[in-house]
Amino acid sequence: MGLVLADSSVVVLALPQIYRDLDTSVAGVTWVLVSFNLVMALAAVPAAMVARRSGPGRAAAVGLAIFAGAGIACGLSDSLSALIAARCVQALGGAAAVTAALELLPATVGSERRAAVVWASAGATGAAFGPAIGGILTQLVSWQSIFLLQAPVALVAAVPILAVARHEAATGIVEPELRRTGRPHLWANLALGMVSAAIAAALFLLVLLLIEGWRLSPIGAAIVVSAMPLSALLGSRLDPLAASAKARAAAGAILVSGGLAALGLLPHAYVVLTLPPQLLVGVGLALVLSALTETALAGRAPQAIHGGWTISARHAGVVVGLLLLTPIFTSDIATQRHDAIEAGTAVILDSRVDPLVKIDLAQRIGDQLESEKGKVPTIGPAFEPLPSDPGQRAEVVGLRDELQDQLNRGATHAFSPSFLLAALLGLLALIPIGLARRVEL
Amino acid sequence: MSTHPPFRGSFVGPGGTNEPRNGRLLVGGAIAVALVLVGVYLASGGASYTPKKTQDPCKPRPWGNPESLGEIANQFSVSALDGAACKLGVSREALARALATPAGRERFRRRYGIDDAKLAEAIRAGLVRAVDDAERAGALPPLVADPLRSAVREIPLDQAIELVRDARSALGSLEGLLGPASGLLERFLP
Repeated sequence: MGLVLADSSVVVLALPQIYRDLDTSVAGVTWVLVSFNLVMALAAVPAAMVARRSGPGRAAAVGLAIFAGAGIACGLSDSLSALIAARCVQALGGAAAVTAALELLPATVGSERRAAVVWASAGATGAAFGPAIGGILTQLVSWQSIFLLQAPVALVAAVPILAVARHEAATGIVEPELRRTGRPHLWANLALGMVSAAIAAALFLLVLLLIEGWRLSPIGAAIVVSAMPLSALLGSRLDPLAASAKARAAAGAILVSGGLAALGLLPHAYVVLTLPPQLLVGVGLALVLSALTETALAGRAPQAIHGGWTISARHAGVVVGLLLLTPIFTSDIATQRHDAIEAGTAVILDSRVDPLVKIDLAQRIGDQLESEKGKVPTIGPAFEPLPSDPGQRAEVVGLRDELQDQLNRGATHAFSPSFLLAALLGLLALIPIGLARRVEL
Repeated sequence: MSTHPPFRGSFVGPGGTNEPRNGRLLVGGAIAVALVLVGVYLASGGASYTPKKTQDPCKPRPWGNPESLGEIANQFSVSALDGAACKLGVSREALARALATPAGRERFRRRYGIDDAKLAEAIRAGLVRAVDDAERAGALPPLVADPLRSAVREIPLDQAIELVRDARSALGSLEGLLGPASGLLERFLP
């Protein structure tokens, strides 16, 4: 469960590397995330129904096998379209495995309530830890390794499930008559979708800001964004406060929105300033995802079907968040990049550096821009090699740092409207949370 | 397949009588923490960023107090770029990025639809402005500025670009073109 739900975010830190390797754009590479989440959203409920009919053990085992096989196909993809196609298949397997897991869990953990809590926590933890794991693998091995390593993990997870599947096949213990599923919990699922859109923005935008805007390495960005899952662990410990699910959901949505708003209002391009907002988002996501999932499942049967609705709502939210915010921030990046480069070139031209050197520098910056169409520029190479004269060298290094600062601030500012819009989405989730009433079936 | 009964009433937590108070505390605390963080970031200038605007090249750019041939050459180049960019209706920065290499010039031509004849005319106008600015700032005496102004009005494109890029060498080499004024540059320039 955690593996599959981590998969919607695990690839986030690899996206910059993927779009370089596969020669695409920010908007194009977004579909590596969108495709997976879209198929998960569409397939979760049907997959749950299949799991009910064929037996959750079998459905989970087949789902994990498909997930593993498609993961290998993702890792071997040499084009964006092949990668997206494999991601779609991977999401199909993932949907089957995740929804079936909810049917299998009560037998393991003792009760449906406990199963729902464990299931919701695994989802929140997986989503939060995904980017950090993906970043470490991307830098230490490659982005392909993220997918290739999922295969053995999924297969190992499938081993105990195979025993259940064999038992189902031998005994025929598959519920012959499906219970009435009841309507899905509209408000909880709607809120789940809206909060997921906001959280997707937090992960996706923050990672892009760190790697593409501030040029951190994937592992550096992974370390920075690991603040979010660590905070999520802290958030999961707030449950003993014994507040109602509604209060936890509301508090979580407020914290997520507050953290996102703060990310949209970063006063400087300093990594340390992303930590307090991440703390809020992490604690908030743990509170709100688990509270809303528990609410959506409460009093409803069968669990797999309603679990399927929550998966569907969450991933639909991620898709909406990505599709809504990506065009906004890619357009803002282009504008900010242009302004920052113009301002940076002005700084160079107004400097005391020899005109021959500075016009050459201005040209190299232009070349760098041309070579990074549609992407946030990495300006360092334009300043290499540095002049040999010590005075000129110091001057040029100063200029490089000043231009870098201009670019960093410009990139940070480019992400602000998207973060603020995501914060608004999180706040809007308070409406369905407020409308949700005590659940009694 | 699970045989456990579905659980009920998730929105009713296990907190018993303290639950509403805990809930209010939790929500109130979340609001307070979120507002404090957003407030601190706002107070630290989180909403105040505006990118530096580049200056209109048609507006005069004040010369400092150049104390060496190198500094005069530097300001001369900037003035020339301003003048040429003003004439072409592009930013000084975009023009500067075009002048270093033929490829840059070609890219500039494609992007702005400006051919070499227009570029040459604009750069000559920019050089005239640079001479005017230098003379006004007292960096070039009229005796040097007048023949220099006449010389740049006729200068071919490549030499004009070279004069913008490497004003120091070019100013020195112009001594030869100035005929009777030869040698005056060294005398008048600090």
